[in-house]
Amino acid sequence: MRIGLAVAQWLSRTIVILLLVIIGTTALVRYAPGYLTDEREMEAPYAQEARAELSVEAAQSRSIGHMVTAEIASWAHGSGGISRQYGVPVSQLILPRLAVSGALLLRSLLLAWTLAIFGSLVASAGRKPSLVWRAPATLLLAIPTAALATLCLISDHGGPVLVMGLLLAARDFKFLERALRKSWLEPHLLHARAQGIPAARLLRFHVLPDIAPQLAALVPLSLVTALSALVPVEVIFNVQGLGALAWNAAMNRDLPVLLAATMVMALAVTLSGPLPSRPNRADDAVEWTRA
Amino acid sequence: MRIKPIAAWLLTALIVAAAIIATAPGSSYSRQDRGLPFAEASRAHPAGTDALGRDRMVRVSAALLLSLAGSMAASAITTAAAAGVGALAAFGPAGCGWLALLVCDAFLALPWLFLLMMVRSILPLTTSPADSAAVTFLVLAALGWPACARAVYRGALHLKRSGWMLHARSAGLRPHQIVRAAIPNLAPLLLPQFLVSIPAFVIAEANLGALGLGVGEPLPSWGGMLLELDNSAMLLETRWVYLPILLLVAVLLLLEAVAVEV
Repeated sequence: MRIGLAVAQWLSRTIVILLLVIIGTTALVRYAPGYLTDEREMEAPYAQEARAELSVEAAQSRSIGHMVTAEIASWAHGSGGISRQYGVPVSQLILPRLAVSGALLLRSLLLAWTLAIFGSLVASAGRKPSLVWRAPATLLLAIPTAALATLCLISDHGGPVLVMGLLLAARDFKFLERALRKSWLEPHLLHARAQGIPAARLLRFHVLPDIAPQLAALVPLSLVTALSALVPVEVIFNVQGLGALAWNAAMNRDLPVLLAATMVMALAVTLSGPLPSRPNRADDAVEWTRA
Repeated sequence: MRIKPIAAWLLTALIVAAAIIATAPGSSYSRQDRGLPFAEASRAHPAGTDALGRDRMVRVSAALLLSLAGSMAASAITTAAAAGVGALAAFGPAGCGWLALLVCDAFLALPWLFLLMMVRSILPLTTSPADSAAVTFLVLAALGWPACARAVYRGALHLKRSGWMLHARSAGLRPHQIVRAAIPNLAPLLLPQFLVSIPAFVIAEANLGALGLGVGEPLPSWGGMLLELDNSAMLLETRWVYLPILLLVAVLLLLEAVAVEV
């Protein structure tokens, strides 16, 4: 009964957040000063056609309510709207790329979590925070994703998985190491260590259950970071995924595609979340920001 | 060894040096020397020139100043907005607080870069470089507040339940008087948030610029200069092309060192 209630709460919260995202992004697009402008207007051969298309779009987007309803209806029908750039349903563009980006994300997250969990377990076992572990993580976090990807490309070492994996591992490591160190310093664990109870046993029965909520929160938090890193990585390594599609849409002002890509990202992040209570989520977000 | 004061001094020295270079008589980040593209380091151009013959040292200095000024302004706006929303959520009516936190959740569910790309792509085609810089940092400020607002909310809630606050409420202080007393007590929470946001905004601007969606040319920016790395001809001509990225990483490390555990 309690689990059912929690699931219902989570589902309703997810739906409300998604509705807010749809309304917010649609309003953002509609009231932007550059809405209803097209680069083709500057080129004489295409200007007439572009203006005709824009006037049709202007007629369809008089009110936010109408736009939101049309957006939801288009998703309900499975098309997700029509791409301005390619003239095909947005779902046809997004679905094949979902698999590419999904595989890249999955491999990067697995690499990152493996590195971060192993690194944080070793690093947190020491008496004091060690520079040997912290310095590489800090350095990696100080390099913008686009720069790291470009450097890998220039040096011909590493690929998209390594770039995303390292970036995520650095952030996850700082977050986990902080949580683990805090846990190891609990009075009962200090006492147990002084009594000579093996660290592996303490880790298994006390430390890991203690940081389980943080480990669960790592999924949506890592996913948000990974999705943001997805765009520069896919663009620079020429991976035909969702990030590259969104970037292409941004460069060509293809707003239906960009809007749809943002919705998909929001859906992925919202669905990936565990069922934490509100204060826990706040704590995790704060710790993540600090990391 | 205390790293924070050393980092603060080094950062100040970098900013002063950049300000001197960028404002020195005769130096201009946009002046082109078409006869000297891809020039190596010389007395006239200590870090060489870019593809258009513009002095790289002046451009890197101007980018550093622009990026830091913009990020600090964006961070100040973000922190102020977060203070307002967090305080409203904690001290306001229950419904108002619930709605504020729901909006925070909606923002947190969206990857930053996608929203940034969306907003930058729908700017008018005639946007000037100065406007594009202002819009980029304003958008960063507009999107950066939710995580910070949650931290403020948590701190404000803690204050609300504190003994002196209960006493103030039982003594009949009005809500606005209570908020006025609470806000100075949130300062220890707001300062770290302000400092932590600055490097995050510098990185976001660099990433956005590297995708061609940041500050418009001829204004120099970290992101714009990272685009030089795509030019393989330039990489063969000069190693000075790596200067912006090295300086950017150094600035970010110093900012992190200053911000950590304030």
